Amino acid sequence: MNLVYRLGRLTIVTYFWAFILFLFAPLLVLVVFAFNKSATPTLPITAFSTRWFHLAFSDSELTTALVRSAEIGVATGLFATALGVMASLGLSARRLRLRSLIVAILLLPLVVPYISLAVGLLILLNELGIRISLWAVFLGHSVVALPFSILVVLPRLRSLDPAMVEAARDLGSSEIGAFNLVTLPLLTPSIVSSFLICFITSFDEFAISSFLAPSGRPTYPVFLYAGSRSPGLLPELIAVGSIIIVASLALIVVAEAGRRWAERRLRGETRVVDQPTAESIGLLGTQV
Amino acid sequence: MRVRIGQGVFVTPPLVLVLLLLLGPVVLLSLYSLNVRTNIPGVPTGVSAANWKDFLTGHGNPFRARFFYSMKITLLVSATATAAAYPLAYYLAFIARRFRYVLLLLLITPFFTSYLLRIVAWADVMLNDNGVVNHVFWALHLRPQGDPVSWLLYSNFSIFLVLFYSWVPFVSLPIFAVLENMDHRLIEAATDLGANRFITFWRVTFPLSLPGVIAAFVFVLIPTTGEFIAPLYVGGPGNQLFGNEIQAFFGDSPNWNYGAVLAIALIGVVLVLMLVFGRFLDTDLRQPGVEVGP
Repeated sequence: MNLVYRLGRLTIVTYFWAFILFLFAPLLVLVVFAFNKSATPTLPITAFSTRWFHLAFSDSELTTALVRSAEIGVATGLFATALGVMASLGLSARRLRLRSLIVAILLLPLVVPYISLAVGLLILLNELGIRISLWAVFLGHSVVALPFSILVVLPRLRSLDPAMVEAARDLGSSEIGAFNLVTLPLLTPSIVSSFLICFITSFDEFAISSFLAPSGRPTYPVFLYAGSRSPGLLPELIAVGSIIIVASLALIVVAEAGRRWAERRLRGETRVVDQPTAESIGLLGTQV
Repeated sequence: MRVRIGQGVFVTPPLVLVLLLLLGPVVLLSLYSLNVRTNIPGVPTGVSAANWKDFLTGHGNPFRARFFYSMKITLLVSATATAAAYPLAYYLAFIARRFRYVLLLLLITPFFTSYLLRIVAWADVMLNDNGVVNHVFWALHLRPQGDPVSWLLYSNFSIFLVLFYSWVPFVSLPIFAVLENMDHRLIEAATDLGANRFITFWRVTFPLSLPGVIAAFVFVLIPTTGEFIAPLYVGGPGNQLFGNEIQAFFGDSPNWNYGAVLAIALIGVVLVLMLVFGRFLDTDLRQPGVEVGP
């Protein structure tokens, strides 16, 4: 019995680490090939070289596409988070008519497939007589990012102790003052999470961008798609891709460490109920 | 939060955004699908369900066939990804102990790196004829040198693999959440009453974790139903998914009216899936007294 149990345990441990290897292998291989001198990303590794990074950063089409996506990502992160905080405040009002309908509408972008939304937005612009533009991409991204923001901010808002806001009001603070002094600082970790999730959602979004970004002004994913079709560009794209992969891995670790640190601090000072599970699931709604 | 009459007005701006930019397009798609509006010059408009009729009942309609093909892939990916994620979540919740949150982070980080880049990695350096996977086969003498496995790329296999790879980390989360929050006294009770570990797992742990398993299944099912990016990179002409058909109708030779039928049909299918399975998601997303979840 004990031996069987040990074997079973060993099997699961082996399975877990084999799976981690499976998950990281393509990412590692991409990073390794970014430094390979050969003009085709394939084995064997010929020599170490950083030429693809130099070429990538002197390719103005590639760099402007990256900057374009970063700008739209930051704009989406700010706008969707602001709207997500507003929605969360509204939804936590005790009296709200048609609450379930409003919740359903606000979370609807989670279930409408991006491809349907993208072609629908194309029709909408056409009907309104507006040409496709990066503004349209930004607005489309804001709609799909909004539910993620709500799913991150609302549970945090709900977990705050109402007594703290009441205390601020009793001590003479105005409603806006109490919000600024008490609620907003306590929401900060979730606001940062929300911004990051909305940024990532936008930065990596392909369907909406591919229909709404003008042909001369592609976002990075659209450029990546077109570029990966031409073998000459591939090494550059892999070089930039490896930077993005390493940067996002680092960002996730830093963000998670920061979130824990902030939570520990807040818990030390106040009665914030920890809801890691609900929050991380909301947080992980990316790409849904 | 403190009660204030009027706090509810804050939902207005986000609500307007969604109504305008999500429901607006859906309404317009519906109108196009019924031929009330059209993008094709010279074609008379007027309410007509001809495209719908063709899609739903037309004999041997290729788009309907493509839809069923897509659903098969989607269901296969959802089922296998959930099954593969379960032991991972089990390991984290019951075996990993001290470092389980660090390991959970390790497991889910690939999900946060660019989806497109992960697909590019599979398409252009891993599965291609001269790719790493074939090189591994050659090095292990599983294949003659220089003879690639033909079905690794541009096949049903490659679409399945890429989608499976992408979703397993994510769906281990709801399963982990359920296992982690499970009342361990129930497991102890089963052991105290003489059940061995396997019977305990089968009769106690697994049934209690079913909400997480179903949530995981739905978390893959909903987004992969509309998937169209992976087939662009790793699918051949024969294994494009339903989403690619929609894309084609709005691309080079546009027929927005027929494309709108497919786009609305896709939304309809996902909404039905949500209505059927959505209630299983509440356990994880809803807190007492909070209405989160459609």
